[in-house]
Order: sequence, then structure tokens, then C-alpha cells
Amino acid sequence: MIDQIETLHRDTDYDLYFGSAHPGSGNFGVKLKIDGEVVTNARADPGYLHRGFEKLMEYRTPIQNAVISDRLCVLEPLNWNLIHAEAVDELMGIDIPGRAKYIRVIMAELSRIQSHIIWFGVFSKGTGFDTGFKIAFGYRDYILDLFEMITGGRVYPAGYICPGGVRRDFPNSAKDKILKVLEKIDEMINLEKLENPALKARAKGVGILGLKEAIRLGATGPVLRASGMKTDVRKDDIYEIYDRFDFNIPVRKEGDCYARYLIGIDEMIESIKIIKQALNEMPKGEVIDSSLKKPKLSVKIPSGEVYIRNEVARGEAGIYMVSNGNDKPYRVKVRGPDFLHMIPVLEYLLQGTQIADVPAVYWSLNICPADMDR
Amino acid sequence: MIKKETELLNEMKSKYNFEGKIKRKRRISISIDRNNLSKFLHELKNRGFIHLSSISVTDWLDEGNYEITYHLWSYDDKILLTVKTKISRDKPNIQSVTSIWEENAQIHERELHELYGVKFKNNTDLSPLFLEDWRGPPPFRKDFNWREYVKENYYDKNNKRETVYYD
Repeated sequence: MIDQIETLHRDTDYDLYFGSAHPGSGNFGVKLKIDGEVVTNARADPGYLHRGFEKLMEYRTPIQNAVISDRLCVLEPLNWNLIHAEAVDELMGIDIPGRAKYIRVIMAELSRIQSHIIWFGVFSKGTGFDTGFKIAFGYRDYILDLFEMITGGRVYPAGYICPGGVRRDFPNSAKDKILKVLEKIDEMINLEKLENPALKARAKGVGILGLKEAIRLGATGPVLRASGMKTDVRKDDIYEIYDRFDFNIPVRKEGDCYARYLIGIDEMIESIKIIKQALNEMPKGEVIDSSLKKPKLSVKIPSGEVYIRNEVARGEAGIYMVSNGNDKPYRVKVRGPDFLHMIPVLEYLLQGTQIADVPAVYWSLNICPADMDR
Repeated sequence: MIKKETELLNEMKSKYNFEGKIKRKRRISISIDRNNLSKFLHELKNRGFIHLSSISVTDWLDEGNYEITYHLWSYDDKILLTVKTKISRDKPNIQSVTSIWEENAQIHERELHELYGVKFKNNTDLSPLFLEDWRGPPPFRKDFNWREYVKENYYDKNNKRETVYYD
């Protein structure tokens, strides 16, 4: 790509290639055209992490796909596990056991908190607030310890949430440990809430995304909510058992980087609320449907099509699965929220910003190249 | 339970000719002829389906068709509409929906053009997105055998260490 950058003639103009290896966000580049200090044009350059998931999934059974669905987004694998499992469940017409429903919600929310912590971490790092980065990644480890105890993997759960329920039950000590970790996360949120003048100065009034533009560009999730739209797939398009819990949708009107950062904090508080309710109400019993309890070489998926939408930490995620009755899906379309956030939204926001504000805008969008490239 | 969905479907059925089905609460699936598609989608946008969640292509190899699928979400009605239409897979041409959903549709179409070779008329930017220097056929087509393609282009039969791929 470097060889495609053209030479320019005016001496205040130059091209800057922002990327393609960021310490905090992965493999993604933006080609910037700059005049003096101002970005005049931005063009996203994705593809460094394109693994062709949609094609890979056509060659594999749901049991195998549950494992590779981890890798759809590096920063929140459990949420993607959940979406894939829901799609197969709906096609097969499985009603998963009650206890598994609660475990799925608890794991998805823990994963959301963990992902928002990374967001806070990389956003702090990107705006030169190094302490924030260290706080975030230190506290994130508590959640990773929980994941290790429950799923066996610190980052990748290897298909813990699988079609039919979840792979195994919580260990006996899980409830107490989760509650203790939530206390720690509370502690961290209180640290985050302290007004940091440096971060505020870098983020406030920068990268403003109006509500009209946000909808036009296809923004979803925290980015859309920071622009003033009260919407959340968990409330609007209820999946799993989110209608049983009491939680709010944080909304802000400003639409700038600072608003997005505050939305992240508020969402963590709401997620903690959901987990506490779920832990209290959780019934006892089986955690996986009896038809899928024993490992099978092939599970036939009944023919049909299904479109599943979920709220992941970054916004609206979806899987469109078509089956023609074989043991492998005929077509899987993965809709990652960052596909819209990192290409149209980012290109729009970067236009006209100061070059020094590029990292603040970039990291305020809760970016993950993995679910964009797929 | 599905009152809103039935209302919407009946309202649309009075104006257009299509096959529609309510799959469950908040999910409607519609198959429509490609000639009516643009007008139909325009009307849906004006009716509140302002969020284009995704566009997808299903390659029905045996039939010889591509099925283009639009997933639309209405923030007011809280309904997800799946609109499907079939085009020939030998000459995949279809009218672009960039005039309706602008940049959002544009990027989805750009991806599908690269992966399936679908030409979206009136889409101004269909440049490659993910694949760099790709010279093969559109890689997500069902008849594209990527295992063979990789062997031919990236492995050497005479290399001792790579003979394992040819067994």
C-alpha cells in the first residue's frame, strides 16, 4: 500500500499512513491526506486480518464453528460464541435449559465489561494517559482469571457457549468469586470516574458525530447512544432472557469522544447490575440440551434461514445463517459492528480534524479490526 | 403477539406483489422480484426502516442463482425485515441501494462486489476492500475451490517439504 501513496506538489500537503500495526488495536490502517495540521481526507485500509470466516464456516460443522467463532473478535470472544450458538439453536429449534440461559447472560456481560475495560485502556493510551492504560489492563486480569476458572481459557473460551447451552457448569465457588471480582471492577470504575483533566482536554468536543449522520453511516451500539439515540438490541430485539433483568440504557447527547468514553463507563455499571441479578435468580439443573450432551460427529441442521442480532460491546452484531439440511451451514454471513464504525464512520469523523486528534477519535470508537475484516 | 408484523405485511401486500412470511415475533421474511425491488426498498426506508443492518449474498449453485438479502431494522416498529431477491449468478447485476442508505449500503456492496463479483449499478466506489492484489475469481463463490487454488499458486510440487500437500 505504501507504493500507492502519490507525491503531492504543494509543500504544506502530505500523506500519512496511520497504521497498520497499533499497539492497542490490532491490524488496520488509515490513509490520511493532510494539509498542514488538518486532515483533509481519510480512507480506511482494511484487510490485514481478513481470514474469511464466512467461507471457513461453510466447511465446518456447528461444533467446530462454535470453536472458531471465538476468533471473530479478539476482544470479546464469548459474545461471538453466543451469537453463533443462538443461530444454530434457532435453526434446530432447541430450547436450552434454564440454568444455561443464565450462565450465557453472565458470561456475555462479563465479556462486555472486560471489553469495555480494554476500550478505556487503549483510549487512555491513545490520548497519552498512560496510567489509565495500566489501571485498565491490571483490573481486566481479574475477569480473565474468572474466565480461566469457568471456561479453561483466559482469552479464548474455545466454544464455551456452544449450540444447546454451555459446555460445562460453573464450579461451586464461581458465585462468590464473580461477586468479589465485581467489587474490584466497581473499584476500577470509581478510579475511571475521577475527572482526568488531560484526558478531558483531549477528548471533549473532538470528533463530534451528530445523530443524523450516525444513523446514515450505520453506527450502532455505544457510538449511536453517545449521539443521542436510545436504543439497545438487548431491550429492542430481546434475545436470551434479557427481559427478566432490570437495567438502563445510558444515553448522551454530545456525540463527541468524551461522551463515548462516558457511555462505556455507564454500560459497565449496568452490566454489573445484570450479573448480580442473574446470579441471584439462577436456577439449578442441566446446562446443555440432552440431544447435544454427548459429543457427536455430525449434527444435522434443519434447512431454513435465520438472522440473529445481538448487542456486543461494540454495537449490533449479527449472523445470517442459511442451511439446506446438511451437517454444515450452507452460508454464514457475519455482520460485525466495526465494519461500519471503522470504515464509513471513521472516515467521516477524521475529515477536518487536527492531526493530533486522530488517535482520540480512532480509539474512542471502541475499535476491533478482527470483527470488521472477519 | 404479532399484530404489528401482520399489519405491516398486509399494508405492503396491498401495494406490491411478493411472497411474505412472519417467521416469529419481530422477524419478517419477504421474497420479491428484482424489478420491483428498488421501489419497494425506497418505500420501506420512508416507512421507518432507516437502519440497513446488513446485505448478504447466498450462492445457490444448483439453481444458478445468487440470492441478495437485505436485512432492515426499524427503530420505531422494532421489526427486522429480510428482503430477498434472486439474480442470475452468471451475470450478477443489480441496482445499487446507495441512493437509499448512502454510505452504509455503499460499504456493504463494496464487500460483496469483491467477494462474490456482484456488480451494483450506480455504486460509485467498488474498489477492492479486503483482498490485496487478488487476481483469482471472486473467492466466496461456491464453485471456487480454494484448496486447489492455494496449491497451484502458493505451493511448489517439487519442494520436498511441501509434497505433503499433494498426497
